[in-house]
Amino acid sequence: MSGNPPTMAGTRSATGDRTIFKSFFYSFTGFMFLFSAYLFLSNLDQLVVTEAAIKTREITSWGEDREVMNMFAGGFWRDAYFWKSLNLTLMVTVITTLIASLVGIPTAYALSRYRIPGKAAIEVLFSSVMVIPASSVGLCLIVMFNYGPFWNLQQQLGFRFAHSIFPGMILASFVLSFALGLSAWKAAFDGVNPRFEHVARSLGSSRWRAFRTVTLPISKSGLVAGVILAWTRAMAEFGAVLFFCGTFRELPPARFSDLEKVLHIDQADFLSVAIWAQIEYGNVEYGFALAFILVIIGGLSVYAMHRIGAKGYIW
Amino acid sequence: MQNALWQRGTWWPALAIFLALATITFYLILIASNWIYLGLGDTFYFFTQPRMWQRFWLTVWTSTVSTCFSLIIGIPAGYALSRFSFPCRNVFASVIDLPIVVSPAVIGAFLFGITTRFPFDLISEHYNIYIGRNVYGVLLVQFTVTCAFCARLMKAAFDSIPPKFESVSRSLGASNFRTFFKVVLPMAKNGIMASMIVVWARAAAEWEGLMLFVGASEGKTDIMPFAIYLDWNGGMMGWVVSMTIVCILMAVTAMTAMRLIGGKSHVW
Repeated sequence: MSGNPPTMAGTRSATGDRTIFKSFFYSFTGFMFLFSAYLFLSNLDQLVVTEAAIKTREITSWGEDREVMNMFAGGFWRDAYFWKSLNLTLMVTVITTLIASLVGIPTAYALSRYRIPGKAAIEVLFSSVMVIPASSVGLCLIVMFNYGPFWNLQQQLGFRFAHSIFPGMILASFVLSFALGLSAWKAAFDGVNPRFEHVARSLGSSRWRAFRTVTLPISKSGLVAGVILAWTRAMAEFGAVLFFCGTFRELPPARFSDLEKVLHIDQADFLSVAIWAQIEYGNVEYGFALAFILVIIGGLSVYAMHRIGAKGYIW
Repeated sequence: MQNALWQRGTWWPALAIFLALATITFYLILIASNWIYLGLGDTFYFFTQPRMWQRFWLTVWTSTVSTCFSLIIGIPAGYALSRFSFPCRNVFASVIDLPIVVSPAVIGAFLFGITTRFPFDLISEHYNIYIGRNVYGVLLVQFTVTCAFCARLMKAAFDSIPPKFESVSRSLGASNFRTFFKVVLPMAKNGIMASMIVVWARAAAEWEGLMLFVGASEGKTDIMPFAIYLDWNGGMMGWVVSMTIVCILMAVTAMTAMRLIGGKSHVW
């Protein structure tokens, strides 16, 4: 003990201390990782149809094609409803993300660069939309369009916003995905020094050209991360869609327009709503199969976001 | 004249500001339409009912408890995600982020599996705790949804502190834990408090996870966002709209408090 030089002892205890320190913090991260992984993996056996489920299904008479339902994962790939729902979900989320980025990127630029009165209140407005319960968002939408200010507008336009696929579902998934994307795009523009743009303008380029050739390339990765974020949020939408649009599976074919039939999105639901409906109806294996598809899509998009190297504070 | 406008590119800021004002108007109408629909008198009537406040306090205490659990896990996990580098970092981070990326309704479905399997079934059998269609289920759903969220926000809070201070503190002879508690935590205090408020607000806004996993029993598990859905199905429009107003007020208050503390509002 006395033989060791004090410096050596000092470094050794420091490294040992560092190991304990690191493993202390890693244990919490590891707990979260294991919890999250086990949350999804522990449900894999829900995909397999059990004897009890088959017996129950024999008693309940509402399922016409019981043999398909008793297949692995409810035989979801043989159901047209699944493919229509997937089609509908991808179509709606892509359109939503397109609209959200076309509207949101200029909006974020304006909020980030220009002096707009009450900017703090605006930021509180947009950030509070993200922590308002989804049921409230859906209800706000339905009150706004069916009970409130936009009812007359809706009457004059001649089509309904609520309970429709084309404007309704896009609107419902737009509200939250726009708010989330806006925060990401605004952070991306905040990270760019406005001085570059001033230099470009002093060298004779127009405002649009300064934006397009200077600010846009610098903030590109942040903008792409925002687009992915908006798309992921649109995919994860459940509450607003359920409140504002409901389910479409049981509706008669006459309720859908020709365009919707041509695009194969009639009598289909938003994927997360379809999961809920299937599990509530007792079609558990089918519902979990759709849920795993949603998990895989979400995992891939969040992995892409991490790979792009989106800043820590927006995922 | 139009040609000049085009050449100077002034249409770009005009378009940007127009779109900003249009979206702000849309969101303001969205939020204000409840008041327009309900009117002041009815709002006061529903706000004086004990049923409203019972649900309000239920929401407040459940989200407070689940926020505490999330913070206990989230602060150290966020620090580790912020400071340490390890192999396959992106994969680990993606898996940790999955519960906030996937639709919360799906999370509620997945919680069925975890509560009836290995560690949880032993616990619930041995200690006679049932986690499911009761308040414990509400807490578990809120914890699951906010835990990863909390770690994300904490990572943001720790990222804003330069690691230089820690090296200085360690070079002056402080141990790692001492550095963490005496240097890092006090510096990150504002960020942690701001994130705590956001996490609380997110926990208080949880509804979709409860749809499949918990369900609502009147006065026991119907926290306010769920009660909105329940009363909507019951056709009680007055209750629904007045509870939505309370939820919006809670969210706006929380976000204002966060901004006053000095958190960045673009942290989700």
